[in-house]
Amino acid sequence: MKKLMMGTEAAAIAAKLARVQVIAAYPITPQTTIVEELANMVSAEELEARFLTVESEHSAMASCIGASATGARVFTATSSHGLAFMHEMLHYAAGGRYPIVMVNANRALGPPWNVYCDHTDSLAQRDTGWLQYYCADAQDVLDSILIGYRVAEQALLPVMINMDAFYLTHTTEIVDIPEQKDVDEFLPPYRPDCKLDVDNPVTFGNVCGSDLYMSIKFQRHRDTFLASSLWAKMAEDFHSRFQRAHPPVEMYRTNDAEIVITSIGTCAGVVRVAVDRLRDNGLPVGGLRLSLVRPFPELGIAGIAPRVRHVIVIDRDVSSGAEGIIAQEMKANLWGKGRDILVHGFIAGIGGRDITPDMVIEIVSQSTRGQGKAVSVGNSQWVEVLP
Amino acid sequence: MGGGFAMTQQMMESNLLTPGHLACAGCGAALAMRYALEALGPDTIIAMPAGCWSSFIGIYPYTCLSVPTISVAFATAAATASGIKAGLDIQGKGETTVLAWAGDGGTFDIGFQALSSVAERNDDIIYVCYDNEGYMNTGIQRSSATPQGTWTTTTPSLALKSQPKKNIVEILGAHNIPFAATATIGYPQDFISKLKKAKTIRGTRFIHVFASCPTGWRHDPQLSIEVARLAVTSRAFPLYEIIEGETWVLSSMPDKTTVDKYLDIQGRFKTMSLKSRGEFQRQVDRQWAKLKKKCGINS
Amino acid sequence: MPCTINNMAWNRTGSWRFLTPILQDKISPCRDACPAGIDISGFISEVGCKDYERAWQIIVEENPFPSVCGRVCGHPCEGACNRKEFDDPLVIHALERFVGDHGLAHELKVQIAKAHGSETIAVVGSGPAGLSCAYHLRRLGYTVEVFERSPLPGGMLGWGIPDYRLPPTVLGMEIERLRDMGIKIETNVSLDSHFLTDGLREFRAIFLALGAQKDLHLGIPGEDLKGVLSGLDFLRGVKGGNPPALGKRVILVGGGNTAIDVARTALRLGSAPTLIYRRTRTEMPAVPSEIEEALKEGVRIEFLTSPVVITRLTGQQLQLECVRNRLGELGPDGRRTPLPMGGSNFLIVADTIVVAIGEGIDSDPLIQSLKETEAGIKVDEWGGTQIPGVFAGGDLTAESRTVPHAIGSGKKVAIAIDAFVRGLDRNQAQSVSLGSQGSFSMSSWINPPSETHRSDQVVTYEDLNTSYFEHRPREKVPQLSEMGRRIGSFGEVNLGFGEKAAIEEAERCFHCGTCNLCQKCALFCPDASIYLNIKTKAIEVDLEHCKGCGICAYECPGHVIIMENIP
Repeated sequence: MKKLMMGTEAAAIAAKLARVQVIAAYPITPQTTIVEELANMVSAEELEARFLTVESEHSAMASCIGASATGARVFTATSSHGLAFMHEMLHYAAGGRYPIVMVNANRALGPPWNVYCDHTDSLAQRDTGWLQYYCADAQDVLDSILIGYRVAEQALLPVMINMDAFYLTHTTEIVDIPEQKDVDEFLPPYRPDCKLDVDNPVTFGNVCGSDLYMSIKFQRHRDTFLASSLWAKMAEDFHSRFQRAHPPVEMYRTNDAEIVITSIGTCAGVVRVAVDRLRDNGLPVGGLRLSLVRPFPELGIAGIAPRVRHVIVIDRDVSSGAEGIIAQEMKANLWGKGRDILVHGFIAGIGGRDITPDMVIEIVSQSTRGQGKAVSVGNSQWVEVLP
Repeated sequence: MGGGFAMTQQMMESNLLTPGHLACAGCGAALAMRYALEALGPDTIIAMPAGCWSSFIGIYPYTCLSVPTISVAFATAAATASGIKAGLDIQGKGETTVLAWAGDGGTFDIGFQALSSVAERNDDIIYVCYDNEGYMNTGIQRSSATPQGTWTTTTPSLALKSQPKKNIVEILGAHNIPFAATATIGYPQDFISKLKKAKTIRGTRFIHVFASCPTGWRHDPQLSIEVARLAVTSRAFPLYEIIEGETWVLSSMPDKTTVDKYLDIQGRFKTMSLKSRGEFQRQVDRQWAKLKKKCGINS
Repeated sequence: MPCTINNMAWNRTGSWRFLTPILQDKISPCRDACPAGIDISGFISEVGCKDYERAWQIIVEENPFPSVCGRVCGHPCEGACNRKEFDDPLVIHALERFVGDHGLAHELKVQIAKAHGSETIAVVGSGPAGLSCAYHLRRLGYTVEVFERSPLPGGMLGWGIPDYRLPPTVLGMEIERLRDMGIKIETNVSLDSHFLTDGLREFRAIFLALGAQKDLHLGIPGEDLKGVLSGLDFLRGVKGGNPPALGKRVILVGGGNTAIDVARTALRLGSAPTLIYRRTRTEMPAVPSEIEEALKEGVRIEFLTSPVVITRLTGQQLQLECVRNRLGELGPDGRRTPLPMGGSNFLIVADTIVVAIGEGIDSDPLIQSLKETEAGIKVDEWGGTQIPGVFAGGDLTAESRTVPHAIGSGKKVAIAIDAFVRGLDRNQAQSVSLGSQGSFSMSSWINPPSETHRSDQVVTYEDLNTSYFEHRPREKVPQLSEMGRRIGSFGEVNLGFGEKAAIEEAERCFHCGTCNLCQKCALFCPDASIYLNIKTKAIEVDLEHCKGCGICAYECPGHVIIMENIP
């Protein structure tokens, strides 16, 4: 059934369709609608769940972990500072192998205070062991949450579904809501073997010697690494049922591109518009959207863009003192692949600064010409910095 | 009233704590857990934050507890317990007792925020704080549960702890939770009966249990119970309950003795000046007078 | 999810300790002070559990006469009771009486231990020493024949203790129990010195327990005048139904139990007795509660007074000249010497004067050939006389002439005779000695305990942990309180505990040195490494895990657990 809604509403509906059992969340702009919608659903008994109005995000994740440990399906949402506050617990959730799905609204971190779109918050958490998925639109939000649970509960790893602040949280789109019974077939109930159970009393997470610790971490790393193909598989299953694709990587006109513009989130939509315009002018350009950033998907660049010479990365984030995080990840992925590819890292759209097709075209121009208005610091070139 | 506290004989029936754990010899916290499990039984799940207990429970993949336990991050005892309860409840297992088991660090300080939140929401958990009056596990540093005048590694002899002990039970009482109480390993039957009572109540139940620490308090391990007893009889650690945040009930009315013997047998008070000792006694007397008044006892 | 698979028992934290808790029963001060060696803490524990039969069995392991002793024993145990430092000592004698009377009411039977042999032993004298020896020998499996000179058995217990202290029915039933065990008691039998040689052909051994039944003389002029009686003769006469006519004013000389017995008897016969004693009340050898009762009943006592001369005043009246004393230095017996104060003489008029200043042994033909000392017949530490196979004990040989000493003496000789018959080294018997009063444990002789469980240490008050006890005064023993009724008859004055009072009093016992399975140790162990083993019904230490913190030892109320450096 198609309906007009904001991305946050879509997230809430997805949680309801997933039949989540425990929700512990703390409000923060611009995620608040998710929490409010879920509170309504629970109070109206549309969703049979326990809703904990915790006092902070750190406690939210702690409560989620507690509930997940008993074998319940849990959901939470946060953004920016809230995500940062629960950093310790993100490590815990992934280390403990709890299949929690969390929606994060990508928002800038202060100071200075800024509630608009920025990817630094979630990308700064890339080492925690959470799977990270970046949504393109409101439908993607809804669908990826469902796929996310499927992947999480099979891999026993938590999944972070990221959506751009305001671009997705506060804009309205048409979203196709799947039928509950169809979702139930795609996503069966969560039934873990190992959980807090008085009939099988065990202790979780106690002190561990270095030898076993290393082995446990190795297993997690391996499982996280393999989650990329697991996602692809589950997304394919989803596609076969609902006719919508959500692969780890989305290509746009890359098969003959010599220049590929890489981005995550809603920026990819702007990139497609720019690609079309550049193509009209004869430039062999393509667009690459990374949905999954953790694990970083194996691109198979030789397969998807056999002619590429320039990869432009637009980062809506920065690892301060280094460069754009996606640029770094791309370079790491392309290294040693035997191709002579130049990577151009651009920083744009930080703090909700709009990224426009013109800006993208400018970026392409600066990459090929070697000069332009973007300001360089080391390997990153910053677009539209005030003098 | 008078004559102290009468004990009856009772055997410990449950064996939910097995030997081989790594607690110090004479550990009061280990004893406190034995009593808690005796009272609550096997239908219990424990959320245990970082602290002495999570350090000595056992080395993975072994544990000394025979009830399901999760070793959680330091500040999260109450929040995790609350989540566990919600998870059990939604799966139709709402009768299982969820026990948050935290030290004074994880309760008075780093875990305080989450605890206050859970208490304000009156979530259905039992929260027990085993109080050894310091961050013992990390090396005997001061906490807000450390009494005034105490030596710790962060309040050394030349700068003993200057602030009085935070009154956690009174604070929890002010949240109007159905049941808040103090207890001690020195009087296990009282602790066990308070927990059994707590088990019959719904909502947030909080028990603050005095747990002697030979290592941090610098006393002979064999005196762990004696120290706990002296704390009660000298009124340094009175036993009482707060029901629904408004009715205060004294659990024991010890004969008046000074704090001297209590202070003398613990090395952590050795460097207290005479003036500090006097101040300690005055504090104890003041708090006792306030407590009696709240319990409606005039004398 | 990383979760555990097993417990921590594999981790032998026992390797941490440098002191190990050792459970070892020690001697309670009451048992130490009891000349009969009764396991007082043990029987009181059973009273507390309402298992009176088991309590009775514990007592009769050592002492065949609980109902008698509960009434007449001077209870030195109570003077030693550690609880006196806390509030009041336990009323142990009333508890013993309660248990003894339960045994009588329920006709409880004594177990004969496994028979060691079928030899027959002869016992001469059926007082407490003789009957105790007979009883213990019978329990060891021997056949025993007791020979008694007088018409009734019981010795001093029978004719020397008034009915208001020890009803004849009670004594009779306790002695009847011995007959039921198969002990042959023949009365009206006189033996001469040939018995010591001829008897050894018929009997494997002989125990002489003739007692000390002769009153000592004052050694003052006028002692042989008519109207001057001996205390023991007087009591014998009363018991035999022939009380001598006393008249109103009766003077008693002496300070021991006999003197008090005579005084209170005289009261009941209608006289107004005055007792004169040469030292003060503190030095009086009589049982303090007896002195107390005598005073309550109206006996007058003149302390620090000694008799000097008896003369006849009129046909029926006597006159006693007395002198006042002051107390001088400590004498050889540990008591201060009474020194007459010149010029303090005064006169008392009396209808009768009774002398009860102590007993000595009779010059009986049976024992003519045996050597004597000041205390009586000369015997070695095991009661052996110069004739092998002939033993002696009780008042006949002892300096301490009390009922419990006699019982203890009879028991000791029973052990010595058993060793003699079986050809054992008598020093083996030393291993079952108890305490500082020279008593022995028959239960240990029959069932030797393991080495590690024995300790000879007597527990002091400082050794205990009294945190578990509330202050509570001792239970009052009901008495006939109405004086008129009391002294108007020879009915029993002390009425004994009812069941409720007995249990309440039993609960006051600290059980010094005895593990009574209170399980404070198990309750307070942080490592769950000390606990009650249900099968063996004993406390066990898990040495693989015990860290040696010492809490169990510190908290043990009775000082049963101590921490030792064991390699």
